[in-house]
Order: sequence, then structure tokens, then C-alpha cells
Amino acid sequence: MSRCAILLNDLQYDLVNKNEERKAAVDAFMPGMTAFLARARELDALVVHLQLINDENDPHAERYDGWLPATKGSEGARILAELLDPSDPVVEKNKDSGFFETDLHDKLQELDVDTVAIAGMQTQICVQTTAADAFFRGYNVIIPSDAVVSAQPEDKERALEWLRSYCATILSSEELLAAIAADNLPEFSVVPIP
Amino acid sequence: MTSSGEPAVLSGETAQPAAAGVGAGNGAGGGIAQDLIELDHGTGGGMSRELISELIAPRLGSVHHGRMEDSAVLGIETARIAITTDSFVIDPIFFGGGDIGKLAVCGTVNDLAVSGAVPRFLTLALVLEEGFPIVDLARVLDSVREAAEQAEVSIVAGDTKVVRDGEIDKIFINTAGVGELAPEVELGMARVSEGDAVIVTSYLGNHSIHILSLREGLGFEERIASDCAPLAGLVQAMLDEHPDHVHCIRDITRGGFGTVLNEVADDVGVSIQIAKDRLPIQHETAMAADMLGVDPLYLANEGCLCLFVDGDAAPEILEAVRSHPYGSAAEIVGAVHGRAESPVKMQNGDGTDSVVEVLYGAELPRLC
Repeated sequence: MSRCAILLNDLQYDLVNKNEERKAAVDAFMPGMTAFLARARELDALVVHLQLINDENDPHAERYDGWLPATKGSEGARILAELLDPSDPVVEKNKDSGFFETDLHDKLQELDVDTVAIAGMQTQICVQTTAADAFFRGYNVIIPSDAVVSAQPEDKERALEWLRSYCATILSSEELLAAIAADNLPEFSVVPIP
Repeated sequence: MTSSGEPAVLSGETAQPAAAGVGAGNGAGGGIAQDLIELDHGTGGGMSRELISELIAPRLGSVHHGRMEDSAVLGIETARIAITTDSFVIDPIFFGGGDIGKLAVCGTVNDLAVSGAVPRFLTLALVLEEGFPIVDLARVLDSVREAAEQAEVSIVAGDTKVVRDGEIDKIFINTAGVGELAPEVELGMARVSEGDAVIVTSYLGNHSIHILSLREGLGFEERIASDCAPLAGLVQAMLDEHPDHVHCIRDITRGGFGTVLNEVADDVGVSIQIAKDRLPIQHETAMAADMLGVDPLYLANEGCLCLFVDGDAAPEILEAVRSHPYGSAAEIVGAVHGRAESPVKMQNGDGTDSVVEVLYGAELPRLC
């Protein structure tokens, strides 16, 4: 039996409120997202929040008009309350991929997770890099296309095309839930690596 | 040692004869009491001397030759030398497949090697940020030693400066190098002509993608390592076997393969055609480049050469390159033709051609 974990990227107050485009994009997908996560938990899928924590000493951390968002312990670093269930594990990360210098892989291995569905914000950065990293680590990767978000729709479309080409199966969240319920998760057809 | 085996009289401010060895102290080496670099380590006083004699010289070990003099006096046995210099400011300083110390040796050694010279001597100038961990400096120096040993070069002069916290990022290194040229060796763009084949000796773009992935945590850093390597051995083996058929060698560093091709085509007045499906590009590198919207043709490498060789001899030369550990991914990727409207063109897999443009200002910072 496959065990699926849903990895949610960067759905944190500072990050979703960066600009009006982001706010609008996140507002539009929130109702569907909360319903998707609730049903996924009912189906015993693991919901993991990847929480970006920016380090003051990291020269590469993105600053918004000179200030550093999502610093450790700040209000703005918190996961959106509507999406966080007390049972959900939260994994702190400092970079784009949720696996980069974190214990995410170890945790997923302990829980016998073999398939990861990667969701959240933004499709063309953290979703894409976490998906690539997961693929390289041997996970079956699925992207629920209506559970990922980008400030610019064209960025999302381009990222989904890349994911489809290289490392992930693209499904709707409804299709993903049905596959979890039926224990029939689709396997990505691996592109042979020379 | 000099090329004739005589001891070199070494260098200025960092040179101090010392036995190779690793001390205990702070775990980094010698009797350095501090854990972090202080401004006084660069003032030329007692702490400077201590840093040199207790850490730098012992860590460099047998590749380091010199005395506390103002310059190195070296013997050479050739009528011609090659000389070059380069500065290294990479971020991050430690990466998969190397670090700034290895890079500082390989970068200069490779610049000498592509001229056909046998690298002999390097200088090593360190600019350190106040507060830089001495344990990290020791690690960098170990890499300098290992790379110099592999490249068979001696470090004959050096310098150490310390600047205030924030004035640089951790450590910058400058190396200058001298190599000896055999009388019969004559490489250069002037020897490139119509009918030459173009060989690339390693995967394109891996160094840049690895460094970018490390900086941002993109997930590719464990799949794609930097190609940083000293290539003098590969070049000399090739020149030994094919002294007349290798016409020009270029180190594909900043600006990438596309820039090298355009420089050669422009300088020589020829056109160059390459085949996209022959380019050695690792699958994961293509993935990352596609994601980032960058072209591997223009990405920096640190262990990859472009060879212009006699077209008829190209298959044999390719085999010679592939037999070397740093040339196993080599491919013949194109050929030199007569002057044409577009100096560099690439045949795509679908039968169409595209122009390989000159790169203007899109260079990614601090990759080397």
C-alpha cells in the first residue's frame, strides 16, 4: 500500500501577503485548499507544512523593500491558521526545496511515505524545486494543479509544464483524493537519465 | 622546488620555511590561539607571522617552498614561459567537488595548461574577512595543497591581508601562475582553420548549476557536482600523443561555451557549426537550466575545455581525451567552416538551425 504525504510550501502570513497579486491568488485558492486538506487527512494522508524561516545572516534570503520576512518566531512566519491542523507536522526550511538541509527525507522515510503530493506557493519556485528534490530522492511525485499557486498565472502554467515533462504526474486535487482513497496512486513515468 | 630541482627562494609576506604538519591548537593547525581571523593577523606583526608559520605553511606542506623574502627567485629551463593571474570570489566557498582553495589552484593551472604550458609555480594571495573561522581557512588551505599536489605545481610566494568585517565576504583568493612551454608547442586561435573539429572535454554547465543550487537550495546540488579539476595532465597527455593536430585549447569558464565559440569565430574570421544533440549536457543539468531559464551554452565551468583539432585526427584525439579521468564525457560537437553571416550556429534536433549569440551582460555573479 502506498503512503502519500502532501507537502505544503510557504503558506505563511508574511509570504502570502507580499503583494496584491499574491494575496488575490491565495484568496482564490484557499476555499478549495482547506477542503482538500480536510479530506486528505480523513484519508490518512500525511499533511506536512514546509515553513520557510529566513536567516538574518543569509545574503541570498529575499528581502521585501529592505526587511526580511518570515524570520524565526515572528508572527509573519506562522502557517496560515485555516490550513494548519494540530496533527500536521511542520518542517522548517531555509531555502527553496523542503529537503535542503532539513530532516524531511528522514521523517518521510520513518513514516514509509513513498509518494509526495507537492502543493502550496509558489509553483515555479518552492513547489518546483521540492518536486525535483523529491524525484531525485526516489519519491513518486504528484502535483495537484489546483492546490499550487503563483502570483502570475503564466508562471504557474510554465512550471506545471516543466514538472509534467521531467518529474511529476499532474492531477487535480479531486483526482488525487480519489487515487488516495482507492490506493491507486499513479506512478510517474520516469524519464531515463543517461 | 624549481623546475631543475633547486630549492626556490620563496616569497614575501607569507613565506616561511616550515615542516609539513598539522598542529592541535584550535583544531585548525599549529599554535594559533584564536578561533577567528583578527585584523592583527594581517598587520605584518607577530600574529601575522604566527598565522603563516603555524597554520598556512604547515597546511600547504610539501607544495610550499620559500623563505621570508620579498620575492621568489626561481630557475627555469625553457626559453618561453606562460604567465597568468586570476581572482576567486565564489559564493559559497565550500561546494560539492571543491572549494575556493581548489578553485584558486585549478583556475590558474588550467589557464596555463590551455596555452600548452606545463604549470610550475603559483603565488597565493589571501584576503580574509575579520571573523573568518580559522578552521575554515585550514580547510581551504588543505584543498590548495591537494590541488597543487595533483597539478604538480609549487606555491612559491604569497600574501595575506585581513579586512574589516563586512568589507569582503569571508575569503577572496588571487593566484598567479607560471608555466614552462616546450619549444615545439604552439597553440592559439591563429592556428584554428576551416576543417578543424571542435571537441568539448566534459559536461557543460555543471559548475554553475551546482553553485546556484547550493545558494538557493534548488534540489539539484546533490545530483550535479562542480566539475572543478586541474586539467594540465589531460592537456599534456593529449599534446604528447598529438603534438601537431591540436591547434587551440580554450578553458570554458565564465561566459561558457557559447562565448568561447564566438570569440574564436570572430578572432579567426571563420564560422563554427555545432550539433545540439552532441553537446555533453547531463540530464539533471538540462532540467535545472530549463527550470531557471538559463542556457547551458553560456554557463561557467571549472573543468571543461574546448579543443580545436585537425578534423581527420579528431576521432583519435577524442579517444585520448576520453581515456583521461577528466575527459570521459568528451564529445566531438562541431566543426569550423568558412566565414558566414552567422559566426556560430547550432543544428537543433528537429533539423532547424539557431544562431549562438554573443552573450551580453547576463553573467551570473560569483560563480568562480
